[in-house]
Amino acid sequence: MGSRKWMIYLVLIAGVIVFTYPFFWMVMASLAPEKEIESLVLLPSRMSLHSYQQVVEKIPIFRALLNSLLVSAAVTAGVLVFGSMVGYALSRLRFRGRNLIFYVILFTMTLPFQITLIPQYILMVKFGWVDTYLALIVPYIMNAFGIIMFRQFFMSIPQDLIDAARIDGCGDLQILFRILWPNAVPALVTVGIITFMNTWNEVLWPLIVIRVEELMTMPQLIALFAVGGRAEAQLGVKLAAATMLALPIVLAYLFFQRYFIESMATTGLKE
Amino acid sequence: MVMHFFDGRSVRRARMVWRCRQVVYLAVCSALILSGLACTSTRQRNPNEIIYWSSNNPYEIEFARLVVAEWNRRHPDTPVRYQPVPEGQSSEEVILAAVVGKTTPDVYSNMWQGDVEAFARAGVLVPLDTLPGFLEFLYQRCDSAVVREATSEDGHIYQVPWKINPIMMVYNVGLFRAIGLDRPPATYSEYLQAAEKMKADTDGDGYVDRWIGYLNVNVTWWKRLFDFYPLYLAASEGAPLVTGNRVVFNNRYAREVFQFLRRLYAGGHLPRDPMEGRQDPFIAGQVATQFTGPWVVRYLEKFKPEGFEYRFAPVPVPDDHQGPVYTYGDPKNIVIFGTSPNPRLAWKFVRFMISKENDRLFLETTDQLPRRRNLFQDPYFQAYFEKNPRMKPFARQAQYVRGTDVCPVLKEVFDAISQQFEASVIYGVVPVDKALEEAARRVRLML
Amino acid sequence: MTRRYTGYGFVLPYVVHFLLFVAFPVGFSLVLVFHRWNIIAPMEFVGLHNFHRLANDALFFRALGNTLIFLLIHIPLQIVVALFFAELLNRQLRLRGFFRAAYFLPVIVSGVVVTILWQRLFSYDSGLLNRLLVAIGLGKVGWLVDPDLAMPSIALMATWKNVGLYIVLFLVGLQSVPAQLYEAADLEGATAWQKFRHITLPMINPTIFLVVVLSTIGGFSLFIEPYILTGGGPLNRTLSAVLYIYKEGFFFYHMGYAATLGFFFALLIMLVVVIQKKLVEREVTI
Repeated sequence: MGSRKWMIYLVLIAGVIVFTYPFFWMVMASLAPEKEIESLVLLPSRMSLHSYQQVVEKIPIFRALLNSLLVSAAVTAGVLVFGSMVGYALSRLRFRGRNLIFYVILFTMTLPFQITLIPQYILMVKFGWVDTYLALIVPYIMNAFGIIMFRQFFMSIPQDLIDAARIDGCGDLQILFRILWPNAVPALVTVGIITFMNTWNEVLWPLIVIRVEELMTMPQLIALFAVGGRAEAQLGVKLAAATMLALPIVLAYLFFQRYFIESMATTGLKE
Repeated sequence: MVMHFFDGRSVRRARMVWRCRQVVYLAVCSALILSGLACTSTRQRNPNEIIYWSSNNPYEIEFARLVVAEWNRRHPDTPVRYQPVPEGQSSEEVILAAVVGKTTPDVYSNMWQGDVEAFARAGVLVPLDTLPGFLEFLYQRCDSAVVREATSEDGHIYQVPWKINPIMMVYNVGLFRAIGLDRPPATYSEYLQAAEKMKADTDGDGYVDRWIGYLNVNVTWWKRLFDFYPLYLAASEGAPLVTGNRVVFNNRYAREVFQFLRRLYAGGHLPRDPMEGRQDPFIAGQVATQFTGPWVVRYLEKFKPEGFEYRFAPVPVPDDHQGPVYTYGDPKNIVIFGTSPNPRLAWKFVRFMISKENDRLFLETTDQLPRRRNLFQDPYFQAYFEKNPRMKPFARQAQYVRGTDVCPVLKEVFDAISQQFEASVIYGVVPVDKALEEAARRVRLML
Repeated sequence: MTRRYTGYGFVLPYVVHFLLFVAFPVGFSLVLVFHRWNIIAPMEFVGLHNFHRLANDALFFRALGNTLIFLLIHIPLQIVVALFFAELLNRQLRLRGFFRAAYFLPVIVSGVVVTILWQRLFSYDSGLLNRLLVAIGLGKVGWLVDPDLAMPSIALMATWKNVGLYIVLFLVGLQSVPAQLYEAADLEGATAWQKFRHITLPMINPTIFLVVVLSTIGGFSLFIEPYILTGGGPLNRTLSAVLYIYKEGFFFYHMGYAATLGFFFALLIMLVVVIQKKLVEREVTI
């Protein structure tokens, strides 16, 4: 039995190497002198931040980081606030057309984005939102996924809690944000993490609506950097840019690893 | 039941007011977020102010800064405001968004010649030939062939030929010396022979790691502007791809170019591997020639290793070729948009911007060539070329360049050619004749 | 009474948002499919021209075929690898959390990073994969150069990126299988394979369905990988549905045709998902 267990560990460790070594290699290559990247396996002969310095000089990467943070935070806040409001209305308030709206929301979940991509772009053009944060934020501040998660969660909250709050004179907004939110931390975390990650990693939509470098999100800027000529065919610079793009999410992951995995496992969603 | 210690009705009314207010707040908020911001503020334009968009290349920005400062010194009551076009995937997208939003500048100086026809057809450009003094100026600046190139299908001229970057062959002198050649190949046969000698496995790992050249294997339409198109123009002495509504690229010259490159790929003389994932193979000495423009000089000077020697030559031509070797000039031109409140004033500024002295300033600041006749012969520009001998071959080549054909679906033409180029030339899975016929068929469908 | 209005107030932002960003675009795409439009010039009604073009568009069918190839490699590979690791992890182990977290790392990292990294790994001349192959005495492989291998290579990369998520999903599924079932099977002398085939597999069928559906939608959404790695080449073998829409829409400004493509790809996805659901439901009842 002991040897079998060892075999299992061996296979599992091999798996760790397969899934993490490329990232390790990427970081090392971004620190290595340009000439050594082609033959690099583990550690370069000397490490320098030269490639990173180049990235910072060539593209406004910190501005892009700021844009990404701003956009992701705004979208996440919108999804949490509006999603919980609609979810609350659908689970706890009675009004005509409630079921209709619920079915509409379910339907939009099955609607592939390919169909709305072109018209949505034209809408942005007509609104004059091309090259503004609005184009990145407003179309995404509500989504079916958030609403349904909140509806599901609020249905499980005992009616007594709401009744008691109502007796204390709370309005529905107060009930939602003062009473239910503190009791809905798992749902907030799940929806929050998924929304934030999806927004953070989105590239196609920014590629379409943002052309001004100052407003580009980080993945967009770096994707363009990778396919365009501005890296001047310098490998280390591209890999340094990729490393910088990975860093914020990986750092967040290191601290909140459990929440990331659980959020995504409960919803089965990835970017 | 819950006991109320105060009057139930007033409480209920108070709550109702509060809830109604909630509803109103929500409605107002969502309305604000969703539609209020949709309105774009309409800017009040001063008719005596000119808005000029330059490209975002740092050297061109510097040129724009100098020229605009001088203009504003001379014409304080009709000032120019310049902005570099925001860096996007391509400046065309930026212009397109501006056209739709009606926020186009008065003057834009970096319009690819191939894009002009589509914008002209959409009616967003000023027909410059209707402005007084335009035609005289143009004929003085350019040869009649250039004027013809700039004339749209409707007979109007919507662009001022401004600058070119001729595509030439850069070659690694040391590599050619190593295979016993002291001059670069000029014809297809010479190129093929050199290719045979150049192909080598220098580190002995069983894989070729030195080639005669490398073409970008990406199928994106504009990549063909830098390989197929210059070779086609060279072979055909500057023949068009399409004229009017007719496809003419399905000819002997295109076939020769396809066959030439196809032989190189079939013989393993050009790598099929996309080299974007590795170090620049030209600088690494793995590739002996490249087709490129004068911009490569600055790049090579920055990154070339110790002792790296490079020179420029015209692109190769068919063996029986006679006469001058044409190439693609990658022309960028100046346009005036119909949104301009005062096109005559805008034209006055353009004229100033491309005056002889400002053309020299442009040459000195950007190392790009103004598209004017006798650039190389004119003593006025001589000092620059003496100081920058690397630019001499390009100036000589500048007499024999072509831009693009007048065609509203030019990108689609290049896309059709590029699709077949990949299949026939790079992968050799479609015969050359069939490939060109298929490309021509697709273009005819669109014309 | 009043709570009804509160309800309307609460859903109003959603309704406005829905009308603007879902209903209008869907409706507008129905208009676009009958038009030719490059945004700057006026819209031109062309009747069924876009459908006609679609029916004769070799690239449209190529993109479909590519998606199919992607799915045929990606889905089985994903399921096998994920189940394999989930099985290994579904027992008392030291560092279980660490393993799970390590396998999950590629999932959270942006596709842009993964693609830039793999561009390097796939490089023919000196990529890590080919260096490894040469080191163990095998020849170099033209991962992205060989037209027949390019899409499988992308599928391999996508599997590497996503499999961590499916390991976790399967792990959840496996943990929900009641231990008594296995104990009963042990009493009857069932082999490991029999237990897997007759207990584990039926029990985790819903998870498999989820994986299949998510991968299918993922396959049809494939964009950044070919956009960065190959631009759709070689020979359009990695041209994906979304990349094709993107090229038609934003390289050539054929908005009408791009909308037509989007429309059809969307219909196809919905159709495929419904069929998959039917098939899997049948599978469960067997």
